[in-house]
Amino acid sequence: MTERSEGVMERAQPRMAGLTRPRPTQLWQLELRGTLARRRALLIKLAFPLVLVIPLVTTGAPPFFAGMLLTVLIAMVGTVGTGVTITRARGSGWLDRLAVLPLPAWRVGLELFFASWLVDALQATLVLVVIAIAERPDPATLGTTWLLALAGLAFSGAIGLGIAALTDHPGEAMLYLAVVLAPLLFLSGLFTGVPAEGVRYWVAQILPFSYLDEGFQLLLGGNPPYGDPLSFLIAAAIVLAISLAATAALGRAILARTG
Amino acid sequence: MSEFSLTQPWLVAEGLARRYRNGRGVGPVSLRVGPGEVQALVGPNGSGKTTLLRCLATRTSPTSGQVSWFGRHDRQEARSRLAVVFDATAHTDELSASQNLAFFATARGVDPNLWESALEEAAVAELASDPLSRLSYGMRRRVLLAEALVGDPPLLLLDEPTLGLDVSGCQWLAEAIRIRARTGLATCISTNDTDFVEQVATRVCFLVDGEAVRDAPLSELLAELGGSREIQLSYRGLSPISAVRAIEGVERAAEAEGGLLILARQRDGLLPDILATLGDLDLHLVDLKVRDPGLADCFLRLTGRALHD
Repeated sequence: MTERSEGVMERAQPRMAGLTRPRPTQLWQLELRGTLARRRALLIKLAFPLVLVIPLVTTGAPPFFAGMLLTVLIAMVGTVGTGVTITRARGSGWLDRLAVLPLPAWRVGLELFFASWLVDALQATLVLVVIAIAERPDPATLGTTWLLALAGLAFSGAIGLGIAALTDHPGEAMLYLAVVLAPLLFLSGLFTGVPAEGVRYWVAQILPFSYLDEGFQLLLGGNPPYGDPLSFLIAAAIVLAISLAATAALGRAILARTG
Repeated sequence: MSEFSLTQPWLVAEGLARRYRNGRGVGPVSLRVGPGEVQALVGPNGSGKTTLLRCLATRTSPTSGQVSWFGRHDRQEARSRLAVVFDATAHTDELSASQNLAFFATARGVDPNLWESALEEAAVAELASDPLSRLSYGMRRRVLLAEALVGDPPLLLLDEPTLGLDVSGCQWLAEAIRIRARTGLATCISTNDTDFVEQVATRVCFLVDGEAVRDAPLSELLAELGGSREIQLSYRGLSPISAVRAIEGVERAAEAEGGLLILARQRDGLLPDILATLGDLDLHLVDLKVRDPGLADCFLRLTGRALHD
């Protein structure tokens, strides 16, 4: 060590003493810590679902409309959270840096998604905590709807990743997200209910937002024509598995696109 | 670094080209970088040097030709042996230099505890615990370079490495590359900072409009300029370039940096002839500098164009 560098290290010692906590060694840890460090943005992120759910449950909003709004909220949180984050990361050159590391593309995709999903999951959990306190619903319905919400976030997060593989601009990503989400939410029966038969009935059966909508309606004292905790649990497991597989597959497409 | 062949080049590009839909891009270019060598890719803006470096760094796929790293064509395998610095200073800015560096070290298979020595070498150890968002651009560039140098990768690819660095930063980086080159580091640098290239490069490839116009050892390029002088003119008035080109001994002249850059063979009476020509044109001379020619003059001689507009 040179004399100069010894001096630098001596001056650095007091500050180094504060560096004893473990440093992030995985991408998802780095991303999550970065998000948690943006305190004001995090606070707003956690507060805005509450701004929506608290008036809904305290004013006794009709379960059909309240369920629709909360499902739209979950869908938007998941897609925007990942879609816009990834397009921003590409614009800043962050994805360029990740792409030349010896990490498999599927892992990069999954880790970026996972860090975003954890924060989104916290938002969804707060929503369900408020509902649990206000409505005191059946625990099985509450638990399975919570799992559905987490799976719904994963599904919408995968959509966000897919959009991020198509565009470099956060604003454009928002536009694409609206174009993709609107028909999906409609086909899930959020605006009109699910018909008793026909193509729309079957399409609704494969879309997670229809189950989530029914779950929220049940929690808020509604009586939707379909939906029970067992079907919610099965739907959540299937949606989660599909979303994770899609996310891993999209990793290569996300990194292959250069800004 | 001894695990790789010391007699074979570690980075080889053969007929490498990357063309975009609008026809722009780079190539075909062929080059070889062996252990201990520092290859510089030099050219003006838009010459394709960054595109070429991105292909060499596994970031962009070539449209034709091929690249091999350590004798193999596997890009994923290559990534475990190379370190890359792009021109963007992208980090998780809310976290500290040590946190960012620990992640990149781990991802490259390097001991994350080396963050301390890496930041110390880059002279940013004092700021190790500060969020990167609070650091100046130059300091963040130093962290970026420290992330690449940590663990002594065998192959280093740098795009505009001196961007944002002050004089001491450039000296540190040049020294870091030279020391590592002695132990086998192979380096490829894309830049138009010719002063830096003259400090570190062993070989230079000049690029113009995506074509490699010359690839030769640095010493050979500089030797070709023996007996020449670089003259920089600053003036007010119409450009005297046509008249200057007609002066005996003037090899090249180009508009550059708001004045005129002249490369001329040294002879008695050269400067008086230039001054007389400017006087005949009724031009107001603001400044005149004469110096030994460098790499930028090689480029001027080869292409008739100034490297820095």
